[in-house]
Amino acid sequence: MSLLAQVDSVKAEALVALGDAADLPALEQAKGSFLGAEGRFTALLKQLGGLPREDRPAAGKSINAAKAEIEAALAARRADLELRASVPRDPADFTLPGRRRPSGRLHPLTQVTDDIVRAFRRLGFAVADGPEIEDERHCFDALNTPADHPARDAQDTFFLDLPSRPLLRTHTSSVQIRVMEKQAPPIRIVVPGRVFRRDNADATHNPTFHQIEGLYIDRGVTLGDLKGTVEAVFRELLGDDVKLRFRPHYFSYTEPSLEIDFTNSLVRKLGKEWLEIAGCGMVHPKVFENVGYDPEVWSGWAFGFGIERIAMLRYGITDIRLFYENDTRFLAQF
Amino acid sequence: MKVTLNWLRQHVDFAWSPDELAERLTLLGIEVEGIQRIAGDFDGIVVAQVLSRDKHPNADKLSVCRVADGRGERQIVCGAQNFKAGDKVPLILPGSALPPKPGDAQPFVIKVGKIRNVESHGMLCSADELGIDPEAIGHAREDGLLLLRGDAPVGQPFAEYLGRSGSDVVYDLEVTPNRPDLNSVIGIAREIAALSGNPLRIPAAELPAAAPDARPAVAVRLEAPDLCPRYTARVIRGVRVGPSPDWLRAWLEKVGLRSINNVVDVTNFVMLETGQPLHAFDLDLLAKVDGVPTVVVRRASADETFVTLDGVQRTLASETLLVADAGKGIALAGIMGGRNTEIQATTRDVLLESAWFQPTNIRRTSKALGLRTDASYRYERGADVGVAEAASRRAAALILATAGGALDGPVVDAHPEPAAPRQVTLRNHKVGELLGIQLPTEEIECHLQQLGLRPASRRPRPVDGEAPGAEEPVSWVIPTWRVDLKREADLIEEVARLHGVDKIPSTAPRGAKGSHPYDVVHDHLMEVRRFLVGMGLVEAQGQTLVGDALARAVNADVIALANPLSSDMDVLRPSLLPGLIDTLRHNLSRRNGDVQLFEIGRVFVQSGGQPREAWRVAIALTGLRAPAFWSGTDRDAKCDVFDAKGIVEELAEHLGIRGMAWTRRSEPTPFWVESATIALGGRQELGQLGQLSPVLARRHDLRDPVILAELNLDLLLARRNPSRSFKPLPAFPSSRRDVAMIVAESVTHDAVLAAVKGAKAGNLESVELFDVFRGKHVPAGQKSVAYAFTYRASDRTLKDEEVQAAHGKVLEALKAGVGAAFRE
Repeated sequence: MSLLAQVDSVKAEALVALGDAADLPALEQAKGSFLGAEGRFTALLKQLGGLPREDRPAAGKSINAAKAEIEAALAARRADLELRASVPRDPADFTLPGRRRPSGRLHPLTQVTDDIVRAFRRLGFAVADGPEIEDERHCFDALNTPADHPARDAQDTFFLDLPSRPLLRTHTSSVQIRVMEKQAPPIRIVVPGRVFRRDNADATHNPTFHQIEGLYIDRGVTLGDLKGTVEAVFRELLGDDVKLRFRPHYFSYTEPSLEIDFTNSLVRKLGKEWLEIAGCGMVHPKVFENVGYDPEVWSGWAFGFGIERIAMLRYGITDIRLFYENDTRFLAQF
Repeated sequence: MKVTLNWLRQHVDFAWSPDELAERLTLLGIEVEGIQRIAGDFDGIVVAQVLSRDKHPNADKLSVCRVADGRGERQIVCGAQNFKAGDKVPLILPGSALPPKPGDAQPFVIKVGKIRNVESHGMLCSADELGIDPEAIGHAREDGLLLLRGDAPVGQPFAEYLGRSGSDVVYDLEVTPNRPDLNSVIGIAREIAALSGNPLRIPAAELPAAAPDARPAVAVRLEAPDLCPRYTARVIRGVRVGPSPDWLRAWLEKVGLRSINNVVDVTNFVMLETGQPLHAFDLDLLAKVDGVPTVVVRRASADETFVTLDGVQRTLASETLLVADAGKGIALAGIMGGRNTEIQATTRDVLLESAWFQPTNIRRTSKALGLRTDASYRYERGADVGVAEAASRRAAALILATAGGALDGPVVDAHPEPAAPRQVTLRNHKVGELLGIQLPTEEIECHLQQLGLRPASRRPRPVDGEAPGAEEPVSWVIPTWRVDLKREADLIEEVARLHGVDKIPSTAPRGAKGSHPYDVVHDHLMEVRRFLVGMGLVEAQGQTLVGDALARAVNADVIALANPLSSDMDVLRPSLLPGLIDTLRHNLSRRNGDVQLFEIGRVFVQSGGQPREAWRVAIALTGLRAPAFWSGTDRDAKCDVFDAKGIVEELAEHLGIRGMAWTRRSEPTPFWVESATIALGGRQELGQLGQLSPVLARRHDLRDPVILAELNLDLLLARRNPSRSFKPLPAFPSSRRDVAMIVAESVTHDAVLAAVKGAKAGNLESVELFDVFRGKHVPAGQKSVAYAFTYRASDRTLKDEEVQAAHGKVLEALKAGVGAAFRE
């Protein structure tokens, strides 16, 4: 048998022996019996010197190739056996529940507020804010709602037991006055915030609730501008299929005043044609005069609505009190 | 305000369906909040005329008739014998039901059908089938069809023929407080007239003229003309007080008013029709001056008492306006009449009042007495001073018609200083400027005229100076009923309403960009919220109004409400913690015991009587630290103060805030069993953190330790430092030395760090606490603490001797500084 034939035959035996090794010690033993100092493959290498000189390069090449092949098989087999040796003794049941990490949530009112704020900001509005403890001037008088005006009835007010007899603001419109007193026009702000009315809590009332309103004052602002912004905000908030309807109404601080109804597939699912959602109007010239703006030069609009109402519509929530109970199983749903 | 379709139709024509009318009113600014259809008696039954009567081909006792029903002709098969062609008879149309009779299981509905192979499209009715007694309506009792009067119009609804109310639609309207004129049927009809262009019909109310020399039967003296500038009085003698006629009773009942008697019902009817409240007195019960009953309108004297119609004795104030006779009060002006002059069955002579009272005064009295009536509702919003006499005339005519009697003397109309009609100037170009649409002058002026406004004057066009064609501002005379029209913007709104807001095109957002200092604060608040959500906390939003007891346990400077609704919501929250405790209780009561929350919100305290508002962030933890799991030794671990502290530390690090100092309160407080105050920069108090007193916790049904923290968010945001700079990653290896030592219990971690810092050891990169132990092999009053010290240089690998030398200084400092005894 030629040397090359022997190399082939020993290689084949070696590959079988490596493949048959059941564990790492058996593998090492198999390695020794072929590649060790006394191994059968090593013995073949030693015969190389006995070949004629011209045959040596070719034979050497094929022996080296065979050796590399055995070593590669050895490495592969070793990796395979090492992996098997490290499989855990107790198998994992992947249907068991995972180790959960606590995951926090933003309050649904925060989420809705931020969505509304984002819609306004996209149109160039800055977020503004004012105190929740107010005086009659900012909450009523400067907004053209004098004492004894029937419109004050609709907003029953909490007063504070302090010498100056302050009150809790009944709407975010007080911030209009605060901002106009401090800043010169033009003004473009959106005001989210808490407001308070002396209503007993029930499914649709809570003494504390949230409003948001936009105010835009500039030269040449028109009712058409108001409609355009209202539509842009509500399309972003309620989806492109929303339809709006503007109805003349009355607010003491706007003239003309409008109420806004909307409809979309959700409203129709509720079996209604329209749902009232917001109030708006052109800033009353008297309000401008009250803060020292010239109504001949400046015009503007204001537009506001309740945040709870939007959240209730969006999520199908039927009781406003859920927002303030903070049951974590409620909060985790949004 | 309730009105009915048929009532409106008395005053204006319109071709809209009931639903269309609702839609139009709503878009005009009169929101229709409810529509109620009233089924009338005898619906679907009309007056028909028999045109021909022929014998039925297949039945001897039946005839086949052609009848006219007002719309066309139809064929009817009939079994009655008592009629001929030309007679008028009741016809019930297919689809309608006969009036139900007692014992009927279900209504008998007439259908198109064949009777012995001849089609019949309805049924001619007998009195019996209609359930009426023919003699009661002045008809002969006949065997067969009910034969109607020959002059009855063909097609007239049978109910109308009988003088009974037909079907109607009742609208419930939301009238805004600025439009008192809409609290009347005519007011609503006027809006419909303006919108449709059809004329408004106002009943003429002709009265027999008084003799030219007739003296007034009553005298009126206005002693408070500021509160009552106009008072009209009429006297009707010899009335018979009794039940109202059916039509009057039906009109009132449909809009929710109870019928009382003919005289009182007329005053209510005219109030609904015109918006003008009226009152009728029994004239004989008024005191006379020189033989003439005299009405005095005056302020009450302080503490004067008066018994109103409802039988309640009322104590008046000096600003209460009283209608009186020479001696006593007879009516609480504009609110309610007096019991002493009430119309009764025996009343013969009636004094009819129609006046105008000052709105603010009426409102104050009504509020002070807690007495609201249909009259006060209208007066406090502003009645129409111009309609007072006409409404009185209308009421007098109706009283004469329904209760009989005769007028005595001319009307007394005390109105010493009629105000000149208000005028408002409108520059037509302003309409376009505010609405964003260009309307022709003709349209603007047409709309205003349709509402009853009249142009007073046009400013003469200047000869030069202005471009030709420059428009002239028009001064408009405002009708007395429109108390809301005061300035240019109000007129522009009227134009917008009648033009239709839906026809004003929307303009895409344009113009100035906004700015406000709070804009960035909003972002910072959202950043903190999102960060805490990332820490696994759920955001809560608590009530601003909380109960006094728990609030005071947190802060004594609470602000109380002057008019709270309930004792559990009677102060403004001085801290977010009371609300969070309430929230924990709510969750626990619903068996939701593992809760980790935060809240960001405003709190309110007073200092020296002045309120202060501040932003706070608070954390509340109770129950299991980690979500439930089925393995592991830590799975039952409950939240402790270090859970909360870890969150606070993460937040501070995220905001770039350093230098928080924690100081344990040496004694428990009623609120905290163990707590620390947190200071920033050594001085400013940032907040507090600790465990709620278990006594308090149990009072709120909380069993597990309740861990709370609250921080001053204004301060936190003021110190926010978002700047970050890159530090190269370590290039050389570090050396670590672990030290376990025993120190006194009183030695704090901060003290250890201070001692280490004092050693000024070179290349000390970090100090990390990894164990605190008390118990076996540690003497009482002491504790074993273990720290890892890491040494590293940024430019080379440290030699062992260098580390040893630096570490030796640390150990010396610990021995000297905190009395550490090192364990081997």
